[in-house]
Amino acid sequence: MATETADEERRSGADGGDDDGLIAQRAREAIRNPGDAYQFLFYVVTAFFLVTTLFPFYWLLVLALTPGDRMTDIGLLPNGFNPASFVEMFQRLPFHVYMFNSIVIALTTTVIVLLVASFAGYAFGRLQFRGKTALLLVLLAISYFPPAAFIIPLFQFFTGNVEILTLPAVGTISSPNWFNTPGAMVTPFSALFLPLSIFILTTFYSQIPDGLEDAARVEGATRIGALFRVIIPLSAPGVATAGVLTFIGVYNEFFISFLMTDGQAQNWAPIVWGVVNYQGQYQAFYNLMAAASIVGVLPVVILVVIAQERIVSGLTAGALKE
Amino acid sequence: MGDVILEHVTKRYADITAVDDMNLDIRDGEFVTLVGPSGCGKSTTLETIAGLTIPSEGQITIAGDDVTTKPPKDRDIAMVFQNIALFPHMDVHDNMSFGLRLRDFDSEEIDRRVERAAEILQIEELVDRMPDELSGGQRQRVAIGRAIVREPLANLDAKLRVHMRTELQRLHKELDTTIVYVTHDQAEAMTMSDRIAVMNEGHLQQIAPPLVCYDEPANLFVAGFIGSPSMNLVEGQVESGQIRTQGFDVDFDPGQVPELAAGDDVTVGVRPEDVYPAETASELANPTRRIRARTDVLEPMGDEIFVYLVLRGEDASGAQAATTDTAAARGSDELLMSVEPDSDLAGDEDIEVVLDRRKIHVFDTETGDAVCHDILRSEAMGGEPAGPAGGS
Repeated sequence: MATETADEERRSGADGGDDDGLIAQRAREAIRNPGDAYQFLFYVVTAFFLVTTLFPFYWLLVLALTPGDRMTDIGLLPNGFNPASFVEMFQRLPFHVYMFNSIVIALTTTVIVLLVASFAGYAFGRLQFRGKTALLLVLLAISYFPPAAFIIPLFQFFTGNVEILTLPAVGTISSPNWFNTPGAMVTPFSALFLPLSIFILTTFYSQIPDGLEDAARVEGATRIGALFRVIIPLSAPGVATAGVLTFIGVYNEFFISFLMTDGQAQNWAPIVWGVVNYQGQYQAFYNLMAAASIVGVLPVVILVVIAQERIVSGLTAGALKE
Repeated sequence: MGDVILEHVTKRYADITAVDDMNLDIRDGEFVTLVGPSGCGKSTTLETIAGLTIPSEGQITIAGDDVTTKPPKDRDIAMVFQNIALFPHMDVHDNMSFGLRLRDFDSEEIDRRVERAAEILQIEELVDRMPDELSGGQRQRVAIGRAIVREPLANLDAKLRVHMRTELQRLHKELDTTIVYVTHDQAEAMTMSDRIAVMNEGHLQQIAPPLVCYDEPANLFVAGFIGSPSMNLVEGQVESGQIRTQGFDVDFDPGQVPELAAGDDVTVGVRPEDVYPAETASELANPTRRIRARTDVLEPMGDEIFVYLVLRGEDASGAQAATTDTAAARGSDELLMSVEPDSDLAGDEDIEVVLDRRKIHVFDTETGDAVCHDILRSEAMGGEPAGPAGGS
């Protein structure tokens, strides 16, 4: 039995050496030089990633440059060259106002989230208290809730239809009517994006040595003072990460933004509403929608470039200033 | 800061008691060192004084002000951390001025004080550097600088030397401020402090000037901890007129040392420098009887030689001989002796040694508390007083 197997092996080995296909040869080379195989795989994966992420942008550009009356049968190149759509999009709709709305809402949410998540991250990361693990688990569970599950109660609430309580002297107190205001978006966004930031900041804050916080407190800072003067500056990469993720998330948010405003630029409608509004009842300006999408992405691109530089410089130069 | 008083301070964590019923009275301007092995509660004690830890029980008073539950910022204290703890994101100037900026000093005053402190600590040229560009010693100086800028520094001499110990002692002298220092190094504690507080397992063992802790240790722990090499500690029993141990007997006059009652289990302690070869016994006013021993290992230190002795289990003049085997089983048949460097002792040599009766410490084996620090009371009383008033 044993000799048989050995014989077979020898035979197949000999066969392989003589005349086998290209694949078998490659396989043998790859086994001998695993580094080459890994490098090859790296190129494949990178190429795949680049194509899947960048092609949609290229396609948007193709659409944006194609004149509006030639929108059918578009290949890999635009049917014509019409950069004027980048101007026309602003003439047809005040797209810059939509962008402004989105940026204001995203910035406000980011500030609120970073502030609240900093306190929560400090507590979870640096203090010992009963029920900490349970609370973190609850937070994790809530972060998995789909936002759609909240939308009907949220809509009822922010359109002033919920009676909170009735006082004999004052009368009935209802929920605020925040439809068409930033509050109706910033509030639920903050709640939805908090868990992620809390988890990020908890990790970062927990890694700052106790001695530094103690030193700040002995020197005369309160716990909150030490948080803002020492712990947060030293966790700058983490704060930047949490902030960028929150900003991008809110900036791109569609579902709640779409339902909490009526789509008018003056009513705090965000970018998604702006893009959708190029679509009329009888006509859709696909080239303008594509142009608006490209313009709308620019702030995020700029932010990521800047933030990344900050993060890298913070890590390397040790130049984080208070 | 002024005087610091700890009364019945206890700190309990979930599973351990870090500090147990600590009473400490630190006078204004005093340099007190908390010393003990790691885990003895000295750092926790310091943290309760600083306000970084709130004690479970007890009261802490600084300059007459009950600060037990006050946050650190309301205590007017400064602290140099064992791990230095400079803020890595600030340069030296910002590190040193951190506390001043929190207290809203105006920028001119801040600059003046930082400059002055930097001058005293000889780190003027470093004020623009970041902490990670400094050497260990420079970081220590910056940490000290951060602690002292909140004091008016006008009358300080800029004459600090290289070593942290010296710097601290000098600063203490010039600042005239209360300093509480924490270390596990008994030599550091001995050399720097006005008084040292020896701690073990959360309990204060003794607080006294360094030489008192050395000459009159309050219990077995202090006796073993203070002094390097450690005191020889040998278990034995009091009989009428003598203390009998496995390795040797020490006789005393029961009338002069009434604390020693026959039948007591005691531990005899004698420091290596109080053990003498018999031939030099003539230098001693009150040597014990000769003890037969065999030299084992010699450790020449330069200024002295440490000689490890194995006792041969019989008193030179004694009638009864205990076998070395039983002594070895007890593990208490060894003595460490320190002799002059010009001694001609060699290893594996049979010799006789004597102890200085005036320097024999006796402890209650069960409680560990000191019973007496010499067994020659009348002479001692005639000579120098043996009470706690001496020492320093």
